[in-house]
Amino acid sequence: MLDLLLADGQGTATTLSASLPVTRQAVTKHLIVLDRVGLVRSEPAGRERHYHVDEAQLARAVAQLNSVGSQWDARLRRIKSLAEAIERAKNTKK
Amino acid sequence: MELGSIDRELFIDAAPEVVFEVVSAPEYIRQWWSAETEYEPVAGATAQLTWTDEQTGEKESTPFTVVEVDRPRTFSFRWTYDEDSLAAQGNSLLVTFTLVPTGTGTTLRFTETGYRERGWEAAVLEEYYNDHTSGWDLFLPRLAETARRVTV
Repeated sequence: MLDLLLADGQGTATTLSASLPVTRQAVTKHLIVLDRVGLVRSEPAGRERHYHVDEAQLARAVAQLNSVGSQWDARLRRIKSLAEAIERAKNTKK
Repeated sequence: MELGSIDRELFIDAAPEVVFEVVSAPEYIRQWWSAETEYEPVAGATAQLTWTDEQTGEKESTPFTVVEVDRPRTFSFRWTYDEDSLAAQGNSLLVTFTLVPTGTGTTLRFTETGYRERGWEAAVLEEYYNDHTSGWDLFLPRLAETARRVTV
């Protein structure tokens, strides 16, 4: 859905649901959630609302999680090399 | 990537008993997490993780509670909750290491959950969470990809 919004610049629940395997009602519910957390912005457009992605907010949210993920990647690499060093030491002693 | 959790899996060429020791023992946590800590690896044990900034000497701590110890299969703990509260679902991040014997080595599965509740515009998301789990699952995995395009 965010992909579609980004690709098309904007969309309404009707236009988005036409391209997704879900109902317009389901799309509307998700858009409301995204709106409340600030990932999309909307303006009234007749009986519907036009939605577009708040790119700065989206980038911030993902950057935050990516950076936590890469910190864990580094820790897991250290866990791996520690464990493998211990295992090698254990085997040499035998 | 699913925004509610971080999941990783890696193969380690060491026996599960060794890997378990490395992920759960304070002496090794000091090495791979650069955090000073002291606790008995038993469920319910609480401790502090303390990091010292090498340049300024400033210390930063976070509480830590062991949740499950099933040697050498599962080790899990909660962290990043307020000092004066007990670790529980909704106020902390839950880290789980699961070890699966694989040939002569170990497959280590890592998950960290709790972001949806805590880390990221959390209260609102939590309110909607139960209703929307399947919906988030449908479109959130694409966020990372999308965001890369946005930031480039």
